[in-house]
Amino acid sequence: MTTAAQTAQSAYEQYDRTTSRWGRITMALGLLLSWAAPVYLIFFTDLRIAQSDLWTGFLAVGAVFWVFWVLEPLTYFPVLGPAAMYQAFMIGNIANKLLPSAVVAQSAINARPGTKRAELAAVMAICGAATVHIFSLLIFVGILGTWLVSVVPEDIRSVTQIYIFPAIIGAVVVQFAVFVKQHRITVIAVVVAVLVQLVLVPNVAALANYATALVVMSTVVLAWVLRDRSAQPVPHPEDRTEHMDVGG
Amino acid sequence: MEELSAYVNSPVLWFFALGVFGVIIVQTMIYMRAARRAGPQLDFPREDLRASFRSGAVAAIGPSLAIVIVAVALLALFGTPAVLVRIGLVGSAATETASASLASGTMGATLGGEGYTPEVFTVAFFAMSLSGGMWMLATLVLTPLLKHGDVKMRAINPALMAIVPAAALLAAFASLGIAELGKSTGHIIVVVVSALTMAVCLALARALNAAWLREWGLGFSIILGLVVAYFVHSAGLGPPPA
Repeated sequence: MTTAAQTAQSAYEQYDRTTSRWGRITMALGLLLSWAAPVYLIFFTDLRIAQSDLWTGFLAVGAVFWVFWVLEPLTYFPVLGPAAMYQAFMIGNIANKLLPSAVVAQSAINARPGTKRAELAAVMAICGAATVHIFSLLIFVGILGTWLVSVVPEDIRSVTQIYIFPAIIGAVVVQFAVFVKQHRITVIAVVVAVLVQLVLVPNVAALANYATALVVMSTVVLAWVLRDRSAQPVPHPEDRTEHMDVGG
Repeated sequence: MEELSAYVNSPVLWFFALGVFGVIIVQTMIYMRAARRAGPQLDFPREDLRASFRSGAVAAIGPSLAIVIVAVALLALFGTPAVLVRIGLVGSAATETASASLASGTMGATLGGEGYTPEVFTVAFFAMSLSGGMWMLATLVLTPLLKHGDVKMRAINPALMAIVPAAALLAAFASLGIAELGKSTGHIIVVVVSALTMAVCLALARALNAAWLREWGLGFSIILGLVVAYFVHSAGLGPPPA
């Protein structure tokens, strides 16, 4: 090995050690701080909340998303590399913000994917994106948004509160259905959801709390049983170039 | 509603939220220093470093502002600290509001509607935070394993991986969306307007090859949905007052 190659090797090892160690420390801190907020409300205020309510709520959410907790880190690792993993899953909006930023930066400096240059360019691009994102959130949401909410008339605020969820979920269903491009599954999901939510639940009130869990389980089973066995094998998640943000 | 806002905007919640921002700023500084140190030996001189940072920053402006719009619309529901951390950072608007809606449902309450008390908010916030944290926990556990090649995704059946996650998420979103239709005529109209706005944005994005419309689709859908909501609610098509 030449001396130049050795210097490069040791410089990279140093960089890898620093980013791995501090990436993990900062991410663990971010995780603890994000959990501390609800823990404070539960234990240190006058709110009295039953343990069972908390865990039931979490189970309802976990039942839908647990696959993605593991799947997304696995999918993004080959694209991001180890150092950027600790940035990306804390900063969020990976597919619609961080990945485009990294790609733009790599092409701006002509770095071929897979090289050390490309890896450093991606990390620096995510640093740039994080800086812009942090400050726009603090200024436009933290300061201006909080002020805006305090001055809008009460009736507008209450309409926003009542209708914000329907205003989001309609768009989200369409966006996700278009993204996955699996018409068969989309049809199955919508039919099952209509049957459960609009036919079953109004007649069997006890089902209301488990309705979505029931829809999810039935759709997964039906989508698997009724899958198109003659179709071309779909590309493996790792090979897909398109992503959509779920958690990350 | 005064009572809810006292909890969702509590100073302690602000402290923890700003703490997460502080952690990201510190992480960014450490990473930049590491890259600056190693760069010259790795064919990545100072000007490449600056060019990468700058193009990453510029590319993030549009998406960041699109997220800001969605986040501001959610302030009345979750308060600023929870929105900053859950919607702005770690999670995404779709996942986090879906989570909050699922968790509120288990308490027999409607997110933002009937029975949305500080207790319901807390259960929703707990569920969102715990679930959202699982992505970070998985990253902390899996990254070292993936780095040493101990875990390979190839081992998993590709047909299964193509169907199960898509089906689970489509089912969850469809179920939550259709549940809204049962609430009032106003809800039906708002869901339809939101869905149509997104469909138009996506169609235009494809026809005009305008990727930015894809990013802004959710923001536009929410704004138009809420404007329509204001009129249909005033016209008496909303849910009966609690």
